[in-house]
Amino acid sequence: MNPSPADGGRLRGQLLVAGSIVAALLLVGAYLAAGGSSYTPEKTQDPCQPRPWRDPDGLQEIAQQFSLSALDGAACQLGVSREALAQALATPEARERFSERYGLDDEELAKAIRAGLLRAVDDAEEAGALSPLIGGPLRATIEEIPLDRAIELVNDASSLLDTFGGLLGPASSLLEEFLP
Amino acid sequence: MLADSSIVVLALPEIYRDLDTSVAGVTWVLISFNLVMALAAVPAALLARRVGPGRTAAVGLAIFAGAGLACGLADNLSTLILARCVQALGGAAAVTAALELLPATVGSERRAAAIWASAGATGAALGPAVGGILTELVSWQSIFFIQVPVALAAAVPILAVAKHEASTQVIEPELRRTGRPHMAANIALAMVSAAIAAALFLLVLLLIEGWRLTPIGAAIVVTVMPLAAILGSRLDSLVPSARARAAAGAILVSGGLAGLALLPRAEVALTVPPQVLVGIGLALVLSALTETALGGRAPQAIHGGWTISARHAGVVIGLLALTPIFTADIAQQRDDAIDAGTAVILDSKVSPLLKIDLAQKLGSRLDDEKGKVPTIGPAFEPLPEDAGERAEVVELRDELQEQLNRGATHAFSPSFGLAALIGLLALIPIGLARRIEL
Repeated sequence: MNPSPADGGRLRGQLLVAGSIVAALLLVGAYLAAGGSSYTPEKTQDPCQPRPWRDPDGLQEIAQQFSLSALDGAACQLGVSREALAQALATPEARERFSERYGLDDEELAKAIRAGLLRAVDDAEEAGALSPLIGGPLRATIEEIPLDRAIELVNDASSLLDTFGGLLGPASSLLEEFLP
Repeated sequence: MLADSSIVVLALPEIYRDLDTSVAGVTWVLISFNLVMALAAVPAALLARRVGPGRTAAVGLAIFAGAGLACGLADNLSTLILARCVQALGGAAAVTAALELLPATVGSERRAAAIWASAGATGAALGPAVGGILTELVSWQSIFFIQVPVALAAAVPILAVAKHEASTQVIEPELRRTGRPHMAANIALAMVSAAIAAALFLLVLLLIEGWRLTPIGAAIVVTVMPLAAILGSRLDSLVPSARARAAAGAILVSGGLAGLALLPRAEVALTVPPQVLVGIGLALVLSALTETALGGRAPQAIHGGWTISARHAGVVIGLLALTPIFTADIAQQRDDAIDAGTAVILDSKVSPLLKIDLAQKLGSRLDDEKGKVPTIGPAFEPLPEDAGERAEVVELRDELQEQLNRGATHAFSPSFGLAALIGLLALIPIGLARRIEL
């Protein structure tokens, strides 16, 4: 017996619905398989946790690690991420927005950055990149510096370390013994 | 007028920048128009029955044209939104009156319903291209200015009808009893419209604001959706069951939206398959539900008014529900992505001084973009002369841009996901409606 036109229409309707379900599931399955649900932004590290120095070979690299340690220390003191603080210190406008957002005045920011620089000295000593002989004078210098200079030092620690460059040389040569 | 939202949506990012407002604020350029259309459609249809469709349409078109001019001249968001409300009043009058005129013009109400449904699809097909081209080549104002001559040209043939109505008795004696609107079809229409509006609106914002395509580029990409709709409309004649077409359409729209919620990477090509599903689905579901809501019901203008009201109410609900979600998400994802990108810079092996320079330029870019997802390429210009260092910087730039793109893409995922759910929920009124078969 041949199907009636009504049966044919119903069958086409059922096929259309079934086809739609299959097409939708195929698309969703393919995108899930390609990693469509796996995105999570890379988490930034807790700045209060120690961050091992890597390959401090030469003044530039030591200065870089010093800057990063200083950022970690200051960010830990302020309770923000190292990345947020780095963005804030990039321009005066960004610093102003950051200070407003976290309710900080210049003195509080300077205090946190000094704390960061002091942690950088500690980390440098611990990594063997800085002789303990210069740790003391360096700390004394850091305790006295104003905010703008402190920010400059975070951005370009080499200028600070250059001042003590004569003493840094022997420390640098010891690095290979202390670091893997 | 049926294409209004699909034209205007392409201009929203430009309006957002030019009028210095927020994403949530600029959404009201769409919401206000659709809200007034939703509220005014049925009263406008009643008015057309009372004073005559010709006169109603002529006045409506004049109001639409005048308000369109005001939209183009608006120099702040409040004026623009107010003008859009007035424009929608004119639009509601013109569209519902045109629907009243259509059966007499084409010979039957059934044919009028089919033409009505296809007019909506054609408008949606041309809308993004028109909006994108005008916005990029001329200005966002031009999308409103161009509506003025178009509306006035449409008014010319209608004036003859209006004059005839003025010289004869108003059609009151011909008024037939107005039946109740088809609730299930109209509720389903509202839900599906919410999902479709979200698809178009969110995709355009993702392409222009998230992936930084130009308006024309975004228009070309989103035109996939209406092109697929033309393909979908061919299935209408093959499947007589309106319920099956409506259900299949809702499933395809939801599947496409789910695909957009799960985009694996920030690549334009990956938006094509989901758009094809949404396009085919919208053609099936909108035509099935509109024909069902209008089929066998008289007068056409009143029931057409209900479908217009349902569709525009759906757009309003979709935008109101989804805008707060994705604006919050995009801000959070942008911050997370920028933090992750900054970590990439800080942990990179480029020289410390270059690193500081990059961080400062990146900071300046963020300032320039005022909180939006930035294009970070300029922050890395000029590239270092040293070949090794240049390669490192290029790698860094690409990695950072990838972080931002993925963050922007992911920011839209919850909204696309919610829109998919709304589309899927439309299956409830479709399934419950016993009388949905034509």
